[in-house]
Amino acid sequence: MAAVQEGDGAPINTGKDGEFCSQETLKLEDLLNKNMRIRMTDGRTLVGLFLCSDRDCNVILGSAQEFLKPTDSFSQGEPRILGLAMIPGHHVVSIEVESDSLLSSQYL
Amino acid sequence: MEQKDSQREQQHRLKAERALWCGACKEFGHWQDVGEYEDPLWQGEVYYWGEVNTAEEWLLWENQTPATCPKELEGGRTSMYRVLPLSGWKGGATCPKEEDGEKEKGAGRERGVAAAPVGGKRGSAIMVMKASVEEDDAGWGLGIPDKMKNNANWVDITQDFKGACRELKLGELLHDKLFGLFEAMSAIEMMDPKMDAGMIGNQVNRKVLNFEQAVKSGAIKVKDLTLPDLIGIMDTCFCCLITWLEGHSLAQTVFTCLYVHNPDLIEDPAMKAFALGILKICDIAREKVNKAAVFEEEDFQAMTYGFKMANNVTDLRVTGMLKDVEDDLQRRVKHQQCSALFSRIKFTRLLLTALLAFTKKETSSVTEAQKLMIQAADLLSALHTSIHHGVQAQNDTTKGDHPIMMGFEPLVNQRLLPPTFPRYAKIIKREEMVNYFTKLIDRIKTVCEVVNTANLHSILPFCSLIQIHGHNRARQRDKLGHILEEFATLQDEAEKVDAALHSMLMKQEPQRQHLACLGTWVLYHSLRVMIQYLLSGFELELYSMHEYYYIYWYLSEFLYAWLMSTLSRADSSQMAEERITEEQQKGRSNKKSKKKKKARPLSREITMSQAYQNMCAGMYKTMIAFEMDGKVRKPKFELDSEQVRYEHRFAPFNSVVTPPPVHYIQFKEMSDLNKYSPPPQSSDLYMAASKHFQQAKMILENVPNPDPEVNRILKVAKPNIVVMKLLAGGHKKETRVSVNLHLV
Repeated sequence: MAAVQEGDGAPINTGKDGEFCSQETLKLEDLLNKNMRIRMTDGRTLVGLFLCSDRDCNVILGSAQEFLKPTDSFSQGEPRILGLAMIPGHHVVSIEVESDSLLSSQYL
Repeated sequence: MEQKDSQREQQHRLKAERALWCGACKEFGHWQDVGEYEDPLWQGEVYYWGEVNTAEEWLLWENQTPATCPKELEGGRTSMYRVLPLSGWKGGATCPKEEDGEKEKGAGRERGVAAAPVGGKRGSAIMVMKASVEEDDAGWGLGIPDKMKNNANWVDITQDFKGACRELKLGELLHDKLFGLFEAMSAIEMMDPKMDAGMIGNQVNRKVLNFEQAVKSGAIKVKDLTLPDLIGIMDTCFCCLITWLEGHSLAQTVFTCLYVHNPDLIEDPAMKAFALGILKICDIAREKVNKAAVFEEEDFQAMTYGFKMANNVTDLRVTGMLKDVEDDLQRRVKHQQCSALFSRIKFTRLLLTALLAFTKKETSSVTEAQKLMIQAADLLSALHTSIHHGVQAQNDTTKGDHPIMMGFEPLVNQRLLPPTFPRYAKIIKREEMVNYFTKLIDRIKTVCEVVNTANLHSILPFCSLIQIHGHNRARQRDKLGHILEEFATLQDEAEKVDAALHSMLMKQEPQRQHLACLGTWVLYHSLRVMIQYLLSGFELELYSMHEYYYIYWYLSEFLYAWLMSTLSRADSSQMAEERITEEQQKGRSNKKSKKKKKARPLSREITMSQAYQNMCAGMYKTMIAFEMDGKVRKPKFELDSEQVRYEHRFAPFNSVVTPPPVHYIQFKEMSDLNKYSPPPQSSDLYMAASKHFQQAKMILENVPNPDPEVNRILKVAKPNIVVMKLLAGGHKKETRVSVNLHLV
């Protein structure tokens, strides 16, 4: 995953392919395989494991479940299981993760 | 309340996704693996240890494994993989997992009802999964988010996330090292109408209501339905039923009729009886088709999405209800709409009763079913002429769009559909309804005839062979290729048994010879399978014209030749047996009635084989002659050769020992025309072909009681004779050749 090298002052982090990447990318990598909740432009919400993303914020979720109404309502009915789903970046309204996921942790 | 067994469907999907199995709670997807994307070794064990292949099996599989949570199987392994409860899971009594202190994600996973109706069984067999049972009307209410989702702190990171993503280079993907482009490719794209089946609900202007919602809002009537209402709804239901039988899912056909979601709520007696009737018909049909197992996904979809198929009402009650409605209608003033409704109710009752008859074990019920089908057929014209009485759809259904009318909601089951691209079921038009029913009734009548057939060959004890013939043609050919291997093994065994029986028999009755009966029998069937395999290639238009000659060669010079010798051997051993039996009987009764010359049971087979052999021989020689005359386009073999194609065509035969496969070099040697001196010219070959067709014609014309098959071959043979003669005489040299295949 990522290793931290002490550079001239600002820590430079090496990505898995030895690329140099900034602080923000490191955060993204920490989010991989974490639960994520994404609200789409048509009002549907997808909850799943964050697996992949690209520059345009196209996100792939694993074991994704689709909910119809906002998740703060109890009357949303049953989720539809989608499996692997990709949300185009321009259809993403909001992205949420569970607060614990933001704590960086090292995985073997 | 809509009864959906989404839990079952979810389990099915989870299993397909290689979700983890929880031995304690006996379900998939209870645990998620946080860490490596790929399944760790022990998870694989659990997966296979689960030993379930379908959601049904999973439900039936109880008390067979110790209550172990995946975490415990880890044994001495260090926690390289952290196992956490899957979000959205409505937990139950605590899993042993909990005690490990892994419950980071919030507490209170109280299990919902642990009972699910077992799929496939009629009547309610409740399987209790866990000790603690809570009443939960929604069944497997996995939808209600558990406290975790509501209480967990969801932090919005939208801006940070988007900002971070912008740092990526164009085309760069951020992903875990085990998740690559290949996996990314298989994701469904949301908000694309071609891929996202859940989007459609948002695209239509009308609000999609389920049955209960529709009743509440008054969008659907459960009483005071007018006759045109009833007729229209029933006709559309029939069309949905047919569309289902033609291969679409119930969710997009019959279950789009809201009335069948909960017939208990219907007050109109006719509609109620009809809804129950349709459910029963679907249930029995599905059971029968499943049992036969002669279909693949493209042919038929059996999934019922957890819908209750009227199993709280007995079959007798439903037919009784239908009869009551019929009687009531008969008493009313007779006018067209009344009799239209009457016919439909009666048709439903007859169809249901006939299907029920098939479930009974007595053979007399087959006759009963036949009679019912004849009665049903009588109603068809009445059905057809009264279609116009029914309420028509509000939209244009000529292109197969689902009818929009009271009682139906095409999108009501959208969320039950599997996460694939959206599939559209084209509901057939009402005018075609009767057409289909006519054919259906004919088929059922034919099925009833099977019990009367005395011919041994139609009741082959090879179960898989019978099943194969139930499949559609393309699948058939594929399976035939595979079954040859099994036949080869069977042949081997048969020969061993023969040898054993032979030595046994020699000791007991030295005069009698056990003439390899079993081996012959198996060989006969192997040969037939091989012939069928090659012939089906023509039907499926798999061969190019330049390949015909070796296909026909294999058939005429090899397979049919073997078949003929096998049949003659069987025939002669049969005759030998009969002679011996006669001699034994002679001793017993003096007054032996003069036995008429019985038609030999195999004579017809032998005749047909001879005819086919000649036909194939004729075709073979014709094709060679065409090639000589340059009428056949041969491809420039760049990457392959004729040998490669040949070997590929006959590849399934390599597993067969008897007859031994003929390899390409051998074939070339055996078919080499240069071994004749002088080697034949095309005109000689045309002449020879003509003679073959002539021979076939003669053989077939002598067949007593010719059946349609005989006539079809004759239709091909006769013109071929003429054409071959013309070609032999040098006429028509410039004509181009295109071969039209006649289905034999």
